[in-house]
Amino acid sequence: MINCYKYLWLFGVLCCWIPVTLIALEWIQPPLKTDEGYPVPQPDIQPQLPSAHGAHPAYAIEWWYWVGHLHTLDEKREFGFQGTVFRSAGAPEQAVQASEDSFGLNQLYLVHLGLSDFANNRYLHSERAYRSGWQVQCSEAQLDIKIGTISAKQVAEDGSFELKLCYPNQMHLHLHCQPVKPLINFGERGLSRKGRDPSSVSLYWTYTRLKITGTWFDGQQSQAVEGLAWMDHEISSSQLGSDLAGWDWTAIQLDDGRELKAYRLRKNDGDSDPWSAVYWIDPDGSHRSVYADQFEWQSLAHWTSPKTGVRYPNSVLITANDPATKQRQQYRLVPRMLQQEFIGNATDNPYWEGACWVYNEAGARIGKAYLELAGYGGDIGKLIH
Amino acid sequence: MTNRMSNSHIAYLLLRTSLRHWRHSWLSYLTLVGIIALGVGAFNGIRQASRAAAANFGLFNEAVSGKSDFILQGIAGQPLSHKQLHSLVPLTHMQDWHLLPVIEGNATYVHPESSDLIPLQIIGLDLIALGNLPLFNELGLSFSSSQSTDSDKWYQWLQADSGIWVTHALYQRLQYQSGQQLPLMAGGTLQSMRIAGQLGDANSDLPDDLIIADIRTVQNFLGREQAFDRIEILLADRSLAADPKAFKVFEQRLRQQLPSGVELQAATDRLANRASMTAAFRLNLSILSLIALLVGAYLILQALDASIVRRREELATLRSLGVGAGTLFAMAMLESGLMGLLGSFLGLGLGQLLASVAVHGLSDTINTLYFATAAQAIELQGSDVWIALSLGLGFSLMAGLLPARDAMLTPPAQILARGDWSPGFTWLRSARFSLSLFGLGLLCLLLPPLQIEGGAKMALGGFLAAGLWISSLALLSGQFLVLLARTMQKLASHPVWRMAMSRLADGSSRHRLALAGLVVAVGMVTGMLQLVGSFRGTIQNWFEVRFEADLYISERGAQGAGSNSGIRPEVLQAIESLPELEFADTLHMARVQAPLGVTQLIGADFFFWQHQKSQIWLQAPGRLVPVAGAQPALVSESFARRFDCLQGGVIALQTASGSQKITAIGIFADYGSEFGSVVIDLPVWKTWTLQDRALNTSLYLKPGLDSRLLRDRLRLQFPALDIRNNHELRAYALSIFEQTFQVTRALNVIGLFVACVGLLLGLIALFEECQMTWRTLAFIGFSRREIIWVGALEGAVLSLVAWLSGTILGLLLGWLLLACINVQSFGWTLIWHLPAWQLLLFGLGLILMGLACGLVAALRVSKRLEV
Repeated sequence: MINCYKYLWLFGVLCCWIPVTLIALEWIQPPLKTDEGYPVPQPDIQPQLPSAHGAHPAYAIEWWYWVGHLHTLDEKREFGFQGTVFRSAGAPEQAVQASEDSFGLNQLYLVHLGLSDFANNRYLHSERAYRSGWQVQCSEAQLDIKIGTISAKQVAEDGSFELKLCYPNQMHLHLHCQPVKPLINFGERGLSRKGRDPSSVSLYWTYTRLKITGTWFDGQQSQAVEGLAWMDHEISSSQLGSDLAGWDWTAIQLDDGRELKAYRLRKNDGDSDPWSAVYWIDPDGSHRSVYADQFEWQSLAHWTSPKTGVRYPNSVLITANDPATKQRQQYRLVPRMLQQEFIGNATDNPYWEGACWVYNEAGARIGKAYLELAGYGGDIGKLIH
Repeated sequence: MTNRMSNSHIAYLLLRTSLRHWRHSWLSYLTLVGIIALGVGAFNGIRQASRAAAANFGLFNEAVSGKSDFILQGIAGQPLSHKQLHSLVPLTHMQDWHLLPVIEGNATYVHPESSDLIPLQIIGLDLIALGNLPLFNELGLSFSSSQSTDSDKWYQWLQADSGIWVTHALYQRLQYQSGQQLPLMAGGTLQSMRIAGQLGDANSDLPDDLIIADIRTVQNFLGREQAFDRIEILLADRSLAADPKAFKVFEQRLRQQLPSGVELQAATDRLANRASMTAAFRLNLSILSLIALLVGAYLILQALDASIVRRREELATLRSLGVGAGTLFAMAMLESGLMGLLGSFLGLGLGQLLASVAVHGLSDTINTLYFATAAQAIELQGSDVWIALSLGLGFSLMAGLLPARDAMLTPPAQILARGDWSPGFTWLRSARFSLSLFGLGLLCLLLPPLQIEGGAKMALGGFLAAGLWISSLALLSGQFLVLLARTMQKLASHPVWRMAMSRLADGSSRHRLALAGLVVAVGMVTGMLQLVGSFRGTIQNWFEVRFEADLYISERGAQGAGSNSGIRPEVLQAIESLPELEFADTLHMARVQAPLGVTQLIGADFFFWQHQKSQIWLQAPGRLVPVAGAQPALVSESFARRFDCLQGGVIALQTASGSQKITAIGIFADYGSEFGSVVIDLPVWKTWTLQDRALNTSLYLKPGLDSRLLRDRLRLQFPALDIRNNHELRAYALSIFEQTFQVTRALNVIGLFVACVGLLLGLIALFEECQMTWRTLAFIGFSRREIIWVGALEGAVLSLVAWLSGTILGLLLGWLLLACINVQSFGWTLIWHLPAWQLLLFGLGLILMGLACGLVAALRVSKRLEV
């Protein structure tokens, strides 16, 4: 009888999960190419290092993204940092051609750098655009990027890499990044879906926990730093569904050794796209996820930028059923500094990207996060498309 | 009593007497204020115009990219290669600055109906890098917005090889639509470029001759693939860019990472460098306008003096009433100060107006002679206001001194009533003083020229001597007047004649003063006529010798020192392989750095230049001993004088391939550039400059061929080339010459006009002062007509003496300009040419004008006589 109940419970759980799994497993076969002629990521691709972290110039879009939390060894200074390299391919037939041009047309690169200096309540950020050519080095064989103010190069077979981010007045971070967990390949059959459009899929590979050691140079002297970082590498040819207005995204690193990635794809009508998701990554690297109807993303407080006037919901509460514990979990994200708004060269589409503390339901601090709020200053979907 | 009442009485007297006079003779005073304004305006106008004309120095991209802070170029401003570009990658890893590679050139639009050539500037920029710059975004400019006809995808608008963006102003000027093909010429080829869009709108302050395109597009258009002119560096933090200390730190950091073969220059230094290139040019203009102002001051003196004379009786009455001499002096000075102040403010406006008229002419001159520049808007700076006030007030007060002294010395009415009275300026009569000034001028000629930054020289001694000789001759002319009048007195016995000559033979101070002003003006005009005449004569002679080839070919439209496109190699090859050709003298030109400044390095067929080409040789090839280990070169006279190698020697030149030595083996006359030229053998030139682009070519045809037929055929075959025979080229070169002397001519006219008005005012004052004489003459039976003729004769003889003395002064000034100032400032030996007919006609005109002035002045006085 007990066993019967046991099976009944299992049946109940199954009954509950079948629809969820059905939604989760609803498979939309991506086309081979986009309308413009770029290849669309196909299922069941396993990232093979070292080339996985090299460039994939044939695809229309690719980005490498690093965020992290650092502190000096004496713990007197703490920093949050962001470094992103966006690649946008030229015409499909041109993108894959080898070129020696100093002013090339094959690829366009956008470098975003942000630094949150909590001790001085200072946020530095910059955007620079580069075309393929004399200022750009971006290897296809491995992670080996040197573009303007950012460089990243794999230095060991375990995936360790050196990351250098340059800020004004000769300030720079020189970081050694050591993966603590294996590379995570997100999405069903290795495809991360970002909307119903069949081609709205990406290859999404992440180091969710990187151990950082390195130096912070403030323009005059160096100081050793350490901390934790996160790296995303995403490859796509049609990243965002055409009906999407923006996204809220976070990478949470919990003190218990787990990570949580959550994102809400916001539709033009204000609803969340069904493909919004939450992922839990265990200390051993195993991960699981739930989709939109299994979690809630609530805005707790807003901050209005004095520079752009854009209103960001930068204090959020994420509530989700953790499939492992079967318990409803709450993660409250509170920004460590309000002014972490990134304004690009053209000021029409700023976004907020900042370091946050993470609290549980009881109000205890349980980790750190990076929160990204995009599309509040304009229709980012329209801009991308 | 005088001391106690001074302040309040000055004000009171000014109100009651001066202002009353101002009100009654408002036209005269207005003219006077206008004259001060004219003098101040001329000086300030030229200053502002030359500043605006040379302001942009070729950095045409600044309109869209913002002011650069530093510039990276090859040695001596040479273009950079792509290899050098890659060596600069470490600089791109810093967030403190933006790097913007630039290629620029001249493009010429041919109007399809009128065939007019419209010169345009085409700038090639990395359009992606441009988007990183704050100003570009602040201006709201975009290549992919709705302003463009191309798709919004970056690679679609960027990869369009013939796509160009024109400014809104140019868009309006050319009346072309987006998507249309624009015919443009450059490098000797005619190309069709597609207007991809317009930059900015009606509110944008972008130039109306600017075309922007991607750097690749412009490289292809100009036929300069794999090359660009410079990299501009803009500091990201604009507040730090304005901080000199921080700026210095940035400069040091940039220098630390600089590879060899690349030079860094602060943009302000470049500005100063370019400014130094035109320093002599601007200095000469300023001196000319100062001379005009001096003549203006003389006029003010005359006018104020006339005003004092008119009020003489009133002043005498005031003196009788107990008003102190000091009060009258202060009153007169205050009056001239007030006029100076009003004139200065008016002069500011007038200067602005003159500058806006002159700026394009000056800009053209600078383009032709020095470097590519675009005139920017005339801007009134704080220094302009101060200079205007200082000049206007300073000269007015200086000019007011003598009349004020005159007012101060006015005797009481009782004394004045006894007859004509004049204060007399005895020092004007001292021949010893005048001769001492002349001698001092001679001594000044021993002074060496003043070295100006950038290698230019200023003939300091020459200018000082000119000033002293002008003063000397102006004073000596009084002695000459007395001498001549005494001689002429005996020539006729008619009472009118004898009366006029007798008055002149007296040599009153006022006669001498009127004469002195006229002598200065005549001297200036005569000197300038000689300079221009000699220049023209020398250049015509030079053209005769130099332009001996049958046809001359260069890039069409883009002429001048700033032109950097030249003729594309494939076009040149097609020309050089013409069967009709016996020889083609093809010139390659690059700017290189010599020890004291930039100079021109020319690559040509050295054997031809040495043995066959006609030249005016100062030192024929072979007369100077070459120095072993240095490249034999023919140098221009300007170069030889500038770099001190008139007797040969070795000069080190900084070229793209490093420091190279030349040794002068011959010196030729060249009036094309004051920076000097060095001619070396073409293969060596290519090795040194790492360039291969020809600037122009001169064709020598086989005997018996008609050059006109070939010219017409080539014009059809190469519509983007400028092809002229030697007659046409001479005419064109002369037109450029005329253009460069336009300013000089304008100043001559102003100077002469001021002097004539001065003579008129001087004669009026003179005649006003002699009321008693006229009355006596009338009393003894002189008719009004006879009195008027006395005045007319006085005026005519004054003019005659002014012409004779002024011509002597002019000859001396001409000699100074030709033999000293020109040689020292520009390194040009000019053949002296006396425009005798012009001078004679000028003299005749002057005497007639003097006659007319005398007539007018005497007529005015005679009206008050009861004859």
